[in-house]
Amino acid sequence: MGALDYIWLGIAAVFQGPELFSVAGVGISVTLVMILAGFLLGIVVGATPGLAGPMAMAISLPVLISIFGFTPDALLPVMGFLIGVMKGATIGGAVPAILFNTPGTPDAYMTTLDGHPMAQAGQAKKALKIAHVSSAAGDTFSDIVLILCAPFLAILVEAYLDLPEKTALLILSLAFIAAVIGGSVGKGIISMGLGLLAAYVATGEDFYPRLSLGSQTLAQGFPIATAILGVLILGEVFKSLEDLWRDHRSAGPRAEPGQSGDQALRWTDIRRIAPYIGRSAVIGTVIGALPGIGSTLAATLGYTAGSRRHARRRPGSTPFGKGAPEGIAATEAANSSVSGANLIPVLSLGIPGNAAAVFLILAAESIGGFNPGPSVFRFTADTVNPELVVAFGLFTAMMVANLLNWTIGGAFMRVVGVMIRVPKHILLPIVLTLTLTAIYVQEARISAMWFAIGFGILGYLMRRLGISHLPFVIAFILGGKLEDTARQAFAATGGDAWFLVTSPIAAVFMALAVAVVALSLRKPQEVKA
Amino acid sequence: MTARTAIARTNLYLALGCIAFALMLAFLWIPLDTNSGLIEKVRRQVTIGDALAPTLAAFMIGLGGVLVLFQGRGAAQDGIGGRNLGFLARLLAGIAIAFALMRWTGPGVVWLAGLVSDQELTYRALRDTAPWKYLGFLTGGSFLIAALIAAVEGRVTGRTVVIAVCAVLVLIALYDLPFDDLLLPPNGDV
Repeated sequence: MGALDYIWLGIAAVFQGPELFSVAGVGISVTLVMILAGFLLGIVVGATPGLAGPMAMAISLPVLISIFGFTPDALLPVMGFLIGVMKGATIGGAVPAILFNTPGTPDAYMTTLDGHPMAQAGQAKKALKIAHVSSAAGDTFSDIVLILCAPFLAILVEAYLDLPEKTALLILSLAFIAAVIGGSVGKGIISMGLGLLAAYVATGEDFYPRLSLGSQTLAQGFPIATAILGVLILGEVFKSLEDLWRDHRSAGPRAEPGQSGDQALRWTDIRRIAPYIGRSAVIGTVIGALPGIGSTLAATLGYTAGSRRHARRRPGSTPFGKGAPEGIAATEAANSSVSGANLIPVLSLGIPGNAAAVFLILAAESIGGFNPGPSVFRFTADTVNPELVVAFGLFTAMMVANLLNWTIGGAFMRVVGVMIRVPKHILLPIVLTLTLTAIYVQEARISAMWFAIGFGILGYLMRRLGISHLPFVIAFILGGKLEDTARQAFAATGGDAWFLVTSPIAAVFMALAVAVVALSLRKPQEVKA
Repeated sequence: MTARTAIARTNLYLALGCIAFALMLAFLWIPLDTNSGLIEKVRRQVTIGDALAPTLAAFMIGLGGVLVLFQGRGAAQDGIGGRNLGFLARLLAGIAIAFALMRWTGPGVVWLAGLVSDQELTYRALRDTAPWKYLGFLTGGSFLIAALIAAVEGRVTGRTVVIAVCAVLVLIALYDLPFDDLLLPPNGDV
């Protein structure tokens, strides 16, 4: 089988998979419906301050797995839904940022700077259209880069990296994530160390489950859902609840500014913002391809680069920060182009780069039959590699989601402004209960809910102490893989204690790991994680 | 005390706490609670033991603590004070009550029903039967949501209770009604 056959099989798996219903005799596959459902849910969630794409992914995952089961046929509908949520949330975050000066997602903060002044000047619809076009363009560009790069990177990894090099690559990834996320290298390393420690409780090769303190409850280890949902979702819920509790305030209804004038997005507008979209899409894609660096930094860099260009090329027009359409375009293209590129390390190396990628890996691990990593891209000639078909199915799902984004995304995002009216102090306790229920239906024991609460408190403390929680989550996911690969590499090299530095490639990876930590130590000051 | 000093102190406590935790891990918990050492020799073959990976994790925590100790400056995080701990204590108390309600409401009501009807009823036998299987989740879940909303609003209102009950009913409709294989709390434990 050739590459084209695999691409065709992937497309067919999405369009000709199990049929849900038919329209005028044309069967509509369940995967397509799930992508649409995820996309619409993502926009709603993104437009709701206090909610985020990963929350919706976390809560819907057990329901989706219950619906579709643990068969390989479940992979594309479930992961298609999650991809839809990821993409929908990206554009949804711009809605409250523009209409109400409240970013729906953290990466939409920069959108408020020009989006809200435009809305106040009676140009809200136009601002939303600019945000939509820029976001969809950045996202599509990023997906194309993903589709072109991930297979080649994976093939390179499989061809040139043996077990010691793969171990060193995992160490480099963890060092990079710990060093670059947040403002303090030390805190990033603490977060990573805690994640590794949690991953090693009750695992290992001995009969006795290590670090279990002789307890039957701990002997089963920490279920992956409790650690991830606890630190990522419950930690954020606890922190936000405390902020609300301290302020004794609720997000009451806010008035949308009145609209006037020409709201249409014309060809001249698109020509005006196109250079900003292009530049930010490249920035966001490069940032997104590096594991751990989030869309917020991409938005900041895209905005800054756009601002410089704007001041130089258009000194007489509305400046950035005062309602410049180019400011919205630069931000939205940059933060949206992170989402596709973030999947490059996931699909080619098996290393998640952000929270959304964590849930895609979690879905793949829960369902089985697809292990994101370099082994996916084996173009077997004699037999069909089902994982490769799924990978091309995922690429197809991403392009379908982009198509939805271009066609109905703009219209839908303009009607979800109403979500700002949902009071946060009512929403968060419901999210807490929903998350705990999602954990219980997966684990069927109250101790799992207590574990999640424990990890939630850890996530809360991390946020209060300025420790980024993402290194914890990624280390928790990669901890087992790191130990297994190191064990195999150690055995394969005949018990060579220096296996991480004897091979030149592994030595380079290790040197880079040390260098990235050492260079990050020179950061001038902590910034908020 | 300025904000910067307070934060430097928070970082100092964090660093010392991490270093102490890492030392405790490396020299007490890991040696006492793993069956194999860092490196094992089995039939002339050297393999990595179960203690190595957690020891490296402990080293990372300690190293991070040392870096925070020497990097100490910064002014971004809020720090943790008595008010934060007070919030956590209240939150945990509310969650503990909610979980207790989830766990014991169903068995308690079944026991009462058994007394009234003079039948031998057990919750375990009824845990897959409506309405018994919803009792714990409905009371515990509603309590959790209502308590947290009331804590922020500073008062308990009928509207809060109605919102909480409705939200839990929606969760029941979402997780239980369409699926036979999913168990709501506490039905997997009893």
